[in-house]
Amino acid sequence: MLELAGITKRFGATDALEDVSLSLFGGEVLGLVGHNGAGKSTLIKIIAGAQAPDRGEIRIDGKAARFHSPHDAYAAGIRVIHQDAPLVPGFDAVDNCFLGRPYPKHFGRIDRKSMREAIAQVAEAIAPGLPLDVPVALLSPTQRQFVRLLRAVADKGRMLILDEPTAALPAEDAETFYDVLARTRDRGTSIMLVSHRLDEIASFCSRAVVLRDGRVVAEHKGAELTVGSLIRSMGGSNEVVPHRDTGAATAPVVLEIEGLRTSELRQPVSLQVRAGEVVALYGLAGSGRSHLLNAIWGAEPVRGGAMRLVGATYAPRNPRDAVRVGVSYVPADRHRSGLFANLDLVFNKTLPLLSSYRRVAALPLPDRRTERSAFLVAAERVSMAFRAPGQLARTLSGGNQQKLVFSRWANRHSKLMLLDEPTEGIDVMAKTTIKEIVRAIAADGNGVLVSTSDRDEALQLGDRIVVFRNGAIVRTFTRAEASPEALSAAAQAREPVPA
Amino acid sequence: MTTLTLNRFGTLVAFLLLCIGFSIAAPQAFASQANVFNLVQQMATLAIVATAATLVMTIGEFDLSVGFSASLAAVICFVLFGQGHEVWVAVPVALLAGLAAGAVNGVLVARFGIPSFVATLALGTILSGLAFGISGGQSLFRAIPDGFKSLGRGAVFGVPVLAFWIIGVLGVASFVLTQTEFGRHLRAIGGNAQAARLAGLPIVRDVIITFAVAGGLAALAGLLLAARLGSVQHTMGEPLLLPAYAAVFIGTTASPTGTPTVAGTLLGVAITGVLVNGMTIVGVEPFIQRILTGVIIIAAVLLRRIGRSAV
Repeated sequence: MLELAGITKRFGATDALEDVSLSLFGGEVLGLVGHNGAGKSTLIKIIAGAQAPDRGEIRIDGKAARFHSPHDAYAAGIRVIHQDAPLVPGFDAVDNCFLGRPYPKHFGRIDRKSMREAIAQVAEAIAPGLPLDVPVALLSPTQRQFVRLLRAVADKGRMLILDEPTAALPAEDAETFYDVLARTRDRGTSIMLVSHRLDEIASFCSRAVVLRDGRVVAEHKGAELTVGSLIRSMGGSNEVVPHRDTGAATAPVVLEIEGLRTSELRQPVSLQVRAGEVVALYGLAGSGRSHLLNAIWGAEPVRGGAMRLVGATYAPRNPRDAVRVGVSYVPADRHRSGLFANLDLVFNKTLPLLSSYRRVAALPLPDRRTERSAFLVAAERVSMAFRAPGQLARTLSGGNQQKLVFSRWANRHSKLMLLDEPTEGIDVMAKTTIKEIVRAIAADGNGVLVSTSDRDEALQLGDRIVVFRNGAIVRTFTRAEASPEALSAAAQAREPVPA
Repeated sequence: MTTLTLNRFGTLVAFLLLCIGFSIAAPQAFASQANVFNLVQQMATLAIVATAATLVMTIGEFDLSVGFSASLAAVICFVLFGQGHEVWVAVPVALLAGLAAGAVNGVLVARFGIPSFVATLALGTILSGLAFGISGGQSLFRAIPDGFKSLGRGAVFGVPVLAFWIIGVLGVASFVLTQTEFGRHLRAIGGNAQAARLAGLPIVRDVIITFAVAGGLAALAGLLLAARLGSVQHTMGEPLLLPAYAAVFIGTTASPTGTPTVAGTLLGVAITGVLVNGMTIVGVEPFIQRILTGVIIIAAVLLRRIGRSAV
């Protein structure tokens, strides 16, 4: 249906894409994977008509097509669905689907009835049960993703390019999402799925193409399409993380939580973190573990219970209190909560502990040179790749942006480090580095709390793994007891598992 | 690199071209010492109000009450003069009134989460009512101490007094924004408020202080205007609002990331000031002056967009 032949694209001296050929057949789901910077984004832009290839040809149904603009690609039936493609929040699904399309008219008035019928017919086939008459602002993120799909398919989309479609969805909804995608495929629509979640690619795609350094390096299908084979082709290490024994079990307690209650937790939480210990909080998105971190960080109000930090009463009213007593925090969703995208790297690094970079201790005037050298040291420690300390944070790749957020705390000894989804949305290599950093932080004698929805990450990092479900702790595993199956069972269980 | 340089200095180049153009068109009138003196005096109040707007825009908010604060401060000061109070009583009281009004704005925005556009518009309306009531709707010009008038009139070493105010206020504001921890906080809040809060910045305090300082600066501008004119009407500050924001927006075109800076704002004030002054001298009719000023603001921002997409 869609064929790319010998697509080459250069930016300056670097090859973004080199002789990329691939085809997408009718009614199939093709996976496209690769590290950040492997060329996926450029390829998507070329297919979408947003960029022209330097060489090579795009063929649709066997005929050469030339896209001068995204409009041409759209007319050919190509629909690129980005992870947070905007919808009009106050419009319902029907109105959103008709955005930019001619409205059916009835005596000069917009014919809402036939609009709704047209959309309902498609919705029935791919996403039955999706509310069509409710403003999309009131729908769940998953339902909004269905609206985006619906909009693409309802307007004669024959080839869908989905860019990280499940990245923003709660893990428990991924299955529903893929059901909807399967029904879309079964109507004859071709789908190209671009994702970092290799398990989803492996289980849902019939074929997967791997990009590395701008080239197609492998195509996997059938039985050889597995997470392991994908990782090998991508050039990441298929790491089995050897877990060190820290002897943390006898170390002094850093954080002690007793009966902590917040409005978001269904049951009071009690928990201990020892020096040098990594405690992983594992659970699906929305299970309450992020709220617990926020409460410890002082960013969410505490309704009851008590916390002690190294023996002293700890009751932060805001993050500032937490910083002051030696707690550090790396938030989930770095774009919204962590980064200052339009400010430079040094600014991003030194902000939370700015007063430690004064030239004269009594004057609140940061010293640029001290800041710069602290940045360089910290960047080295988190192995961040960058061009210049003065470049804007938004120009870094996702993994390096995350390292930048980490680097804020790299020059001090934190008593307690709080990490929320530290490896979300970054490539496999960067993930490995970040995990090593987390372990190094603990090895320095800091207590670490990692909240994650990634089961393997919880297993690799946690000395102990605390499983959350539905706003409460359902079970705590020691390293020895933990297994992938046991964690999943606890996180998904209908009833609390007795500890 | 050349595009980038052109981008950054394009606004400055435009200003210089404007000056050269008017100097050629009206060499006697425009480039004369008297006219430059006059120009600086006209720009001073606007420059200070625009600086207040710059501070608030740095944290990503708007303050629509600046013009009203300026009026109220001037009215309070002159009413106190009328009651026989000294300069050292009347001026601090008037400045404090502006500071307090700004702090209320800050509390409404930071503590109660009211969008700044709405909060400052509402408070500004209240302030204009107060100024009206306190002045009785009358023009105030009696019993003005000469010491007060000298704050905004005359010259020292041949340089207009108001030029020193511009240098002092804008210099301090620029230093605070670029060199101090507080200034970093403001840029962080404007860059990403959520991230700033989660990084442990005291953003409620910072936002309240910013609005309070903006109110205080607006009050100062009102007093300087009153000192220069020697009389006060309760609506005299209102016409400052839109040109102040126009200046800030023109100024943002001189910064690589489109963020407001004090230097950029000064450039914006100078461009609008020279434009109006020059056109008046050349004999452009007032209605055409206004239309042209609007067109030039749009052109400046548009040119920057085109320049940026070319990079």
